[in-house]
Formats: sequence, C-alpha cells, structure tokens
Amino acid sequence: MSLNDAVRGKDARGSFLMRSVQSRAAGDRTAIARLTLVALVVVSAVALALSIATGASDASAINVIGALLSGAEDTALSVRDRIIVFDIRMPRALLGFLIGAALAMSGAVMQGLFRNPLADPALVGISSGSALGAVLMIVLGASLPAGVMIALGAFALPLAAFAGGLLTTLLLYRIATRGGQTSVATMLLAGIAISALAAAITGILIYMADDKQLRDITFWSLGSLSGMTWAKLFAAGPIILLALLVVPFLSRGLNAITLGEAAAFHMGVKVQRLKYIAVVSVAAAVGASVAVSGGIGFVGIVVPHLLRIVIGPDHRYLLPASALFGGVLMLGADMLARTIVAPAELPIGIITALAGAPFFLWVLLRDRTRNGW
Amino acid sequence: MITARNLTVSLSGKTIVHGVSLEARAGQLTAIVGPNGSGKTTMMKAVAGELPSKGEISINGHALASLEPWQLAVKRAVLPQAATIAFPFTVREIVRLGLTVGPNRHAERIDAITAEALAAVDLAGFAGRFYQELSGGEQQRVQLARVLSQIWEPVLDGEPCFLMLDEPVSALDIRHQLTIMTLARRYCEGGGGVIAVMHDLNLTAMFADHMVMMKSGRIERAGRPAEVMTDDAMEAVFGCRMRINGVPATGVPFVLPHTASA
Repeated sequence: MSLNDAVRGKDARGSFLMRSVQSRAAGDRTAIARLTLVALVVVSAVALALSIATGASDASAINVIGALLSGAEDTALSVRDRIIVFDIRMPRALLGFLIGAALAMSGAVMQGLFRNPLADPALVGISSGSALGAVLMIVLGASLPAGVMIALGAFALPLAAFAGGLLTTLLLYRIATRGGQTSVATMLLAGIAISALAAAITGILIYMADDKQLRDITFWSLGSLSGMTWAKLFAAGPIILLALLVVPFLSRGLNAITLGEAAAFHMGVKVQRLKYIAVVSVAAAVGASVAVSGGIGFVGIVVPHLLRIVIGPDHRYLLPASALFGGVLMLGADMLARTIVAPAELPIGIITALAGAPFFLWVLLRDRTRNGW
Repeated sequence: MITARNLTVSLSGKTIVHGVSLEARAGQLTAIVGPNGSGKTTMMKAVAGELPSKGEISINGHALASLEPWQLAVKRAVLPQAATIAFPFTVREIVRLGLTVGPNRHAERIDAITAEALAAVDLAGFAGRFYQELSGGEQQRVQLARVLSQIWEPVLDGEPCFLMLDEPVSALDIRHQLTIMTLARRYCEGGGGVIAVMHDLNLTAMFADHMVMMKSGRIERAGRPAEVMTDDAMEAVFGCRMRINGVPATGVPFVLPHTASA
C-alpha cells in the first residue's frame, strides 16, 4: 500500500499528461493503451483529410468546400474539382481506410485465436479462397446467364470473392474440427494445403483466360485502391463495418485464449462459439476487402505486432487500435502509391509487400532467437 | 463438494480412466497421487469439464453438464501443468486475466486482488516484469496467482469454491513448495476445497486431508494419508517396495527413498 501511495503522490504533482502516461502500478499499460487510442483517432482523422485533399490533380478540397458553402454558380473548373474530390478521392479514402482496418484487425484476431504472432488471414488460406472466387468470376463470369450478370452488376466480383473466402473458411473449419474441438495445428496445415489447391485452380483459370481477362486478373491480384467508387463502397463497406463492430466483443475471450483453449474454458469462455464468430467475422472482412482491392499483404502482421510493443497484447485495446492504425497505414501507403510515379500510380500491394516482407523476416529472426525456433 | 461417480474417460478410443468414483469435500485438501500415466491428470481434466467423459460429475450438487462455462468459472479454477504464452504480457496482465468473471471483475477490486494474489505466491514486486522473462518456477507461481484470483473468496454466496491444481509444486524450490502448500491449506481453512495432483508423497502426507492413490486408471486406495500410506499400498501402487515411517513425535508419515529395494 505504501508503494501505491507513493506512486500516486508523485503522480498528483505531475502534469495531466504525465499522469495519463504513467501507469498507476507497475506492469499496467492501460493508461498508455488509452492514450494511444486517442492519438490514433486524431491521426486517422488527419490521414483521411490529407488523403481527400491531396492527389495527382491540383484539385483543392478547400476550394470545393468553399464553393459549396458560398453557393456560387458552378464553373467548369469547380465541377471537375468536385468530381475529383467527392467521386474519386472520397470513396477511395474511406474504402482504403476500411480495408486497412479490416486487414489489420483480422490479423490481430487470427493471431490471438491461433496464439501465434505470425498468423494471418493469408496464412490459413482465406485470402487465396477469396482470390479464387474473384478469378473464377473474371474468367467464367461471361458464361453465366446474361440476366444473372446484369442483376449482380458491380457486385459480381465482390460477392464472388466474399463467397470464396467464406467457403474456404467453412471448409477449413470442417476439416480442423472434430468432436467440437478445433485443432489449431490442423487448421494451419490445412490452410497451407487449401492455399496450394486454390492457387492451382487459379493457375488453370489463368491458362484458360483471354488477353483482356489476363490483364484484369493481373491488376486485381497486385492489389490496388484505384477505381474505388461509391458503388464499391456501398457493396463492401457494410460487411467490413459489421465485422469491425462485432470483433471487439471477442476481446475478453481472445485474451483468455492466449493461455490456451482449455484455460480459456476454465476461465468461463465459450471457446467453440468464440472461434466460430471470430472465423466468420474474419472471412467476411477479408473477403469483402480482397473483393474490392485485390491482394494487399502484410498489413495484418505488421500493424498488430508494432502495437503490441507499445500497448501490450490486451485485445480490448489491441483490436480497436489495430483497426485505426491499419486504416492510417493503408492511407499512407496509398498516398505514396499515388504520388511516387504521378500521374501514373503503383499498385498499393507492391508498396505494402516491399515494406511488409522485410518486416516479417525481422520478426521471424527476432523470435527465432527468443523462442529457439 | 465435488463428486464424480462411475467416471470413465477415453482419449482417442483408449480408455484412460475406468469407472472411478471420487469425492472432494470443501474444507479439505484432496491429493491425487500415482505413477506416471496412471490417469491422474486425465481424471482431473474430466472433473474440470475440459474432457468429455461418461458418468456423473457434480459441483455443490449441480450437475457439471448443466452449468455454463461462466457459471463453472466462479465455482472452480484450474491450474494447468504448463502454459506457454506467445505474446508479451506482463505479470500483472496475466493475473488480471483471472479477474474477468464473477464478482472480482470490478475495477476497484482488481488492483487490490492482483497485488494480494502476487504477494500470496511470494511474487510481490514482480507485477511489472514480462512473463516470458521469468523462470519456470516463477511462471508457475504467476499462473497460480491468476487461478487464485479467479476464485479469490473460498466461499461465494454460501457455496464453496474449488482450486484444481495439476502438480502445483513440481517446478518449485523447497521453500516455495511449502509456501504454495500452506496457501492451499489456508484456502481449505477458509471454507474452500482443493484438489491437487501431487508427486511428492511427503508433502502430500504433511498437507493432504484426503489422499487418492491411482494406478492404471483406477483408484487403488483412498482415505487419510496416515491410513492409506502403508508399505503394501506403496508396493501395490508404485511397484516399489518401500518402508513407510512416522516421526514419533507427531505421527505424520514420511517415506524414505533410501529404503527402496528392488
């Protein structure tokens, strides 16, 4: 008690900031975690604003908003600027943020569930399944009845990728679950097999594809945020948002499961239900993301890992912080992608892979020394 | 009271525990001993609800199968044999994981119970250390502090709570073995119950109220240590001829490995 009092007394004399940063007791990172969350909310707002305000064209968001507010007659210039700001940059920024949030939070959930800091939706084959669904739609979509394609419209590709991701996840779950128990080892190994199978089938489809389809597949698989429209935002956004809102309710269970599934059960967690909700949420978020943006890798590994160093592994803070930080990173990568070779642009997947792959290796090497792998 | 009747447990088609019956009373330390592979841990896991089993298990009169995980979690806490953790949790954060169910999840009590639980396992001042950087014995005591904080009150709403400990002192030095066994003893004196899988027969004789000897998935002997620890029981259960001795002053039995003969 005397120690606690001493610490509190010291705190009381400090500034407000010091009081918030300094944890009340040793080993308690709650205060830092909360402060980080607040900071990330601010940074997210700034990143969104910057992303909407800047781009290859000189269109100025401030001018556009100013013109709107003053009610001035539309000149040719402001119409062009309005289209760039509202119909090109804004859906791109919002969807980019959502996709980054979905990928990062899905990574954090998978890592918690598998008790492995290197787990990732790509690792258990969910991304490959989504990709197969999308490629199937690109190559074989033309042979579907015309009525079906017209009815699906812009939703055809997102739906196919989402269905592919969900089917893969359910198949994986079936394979790895026996007698109500899901084996993490079986799930990881089955994920590798399913990824290989999906890649092989995708290969066959690419072999069958004509030149235009090949071009579509190539651009889609590199991962890009270009060509984001409000229609795509309305197709993928609600699914991602729903997953983002559901997953934080799993925090307590994911915390408990880091001690093992048996220990989590002993601590009062319905383990099977937790796993089921987590896996379906991840499939939904990743499927919807992959559908609109293609394969964007490594966000799910890099973001939670960096955050754990700062705020610790408590999922109550890690999950929302991952979502925010993932969104910010994605917008940052997208701004780079848009400006490095302007007026052309790089697929964003190249940038995240260029930065993420070395990071992944660094984590692997660091953990190898520590865990004796 | 925890009771198991006609408990049979099979793992991958092989029957590990054959129709055993067990009673663990509140206020008593029940120790389960037996050779490696005799089914001690399997039986305890079944009683904890972790493994599917045939037979009847009840806690304080409630059938185990009728309780939700969160209802079980406020009545009994389980210390596993070993736990590896992949993420960089601090000691305080690990102990706090135990405080997410029941009446102890309230913020104003968490700091106090965490500190008391760590002090109880002789780890005061370790709250800020990283779990992964501790020694095996220290990690075992952190886990014990977590388990203890999950059912911090030995009696909750008039019902006794139960600590289920799988080899709680296996990785500990002799001083901490005594610390932990005394802690378990006090939990019993507070009205709770303890079930412990033990290998150290002398500690068992010193601290246990009720001793269950298992061999090949069956209970061979059960009763007060002074009654069941006999030369014949040692040979029947452990397959090793040893003489049981008692300290004349107190009559507490102890066994000398020196007296072993092939």
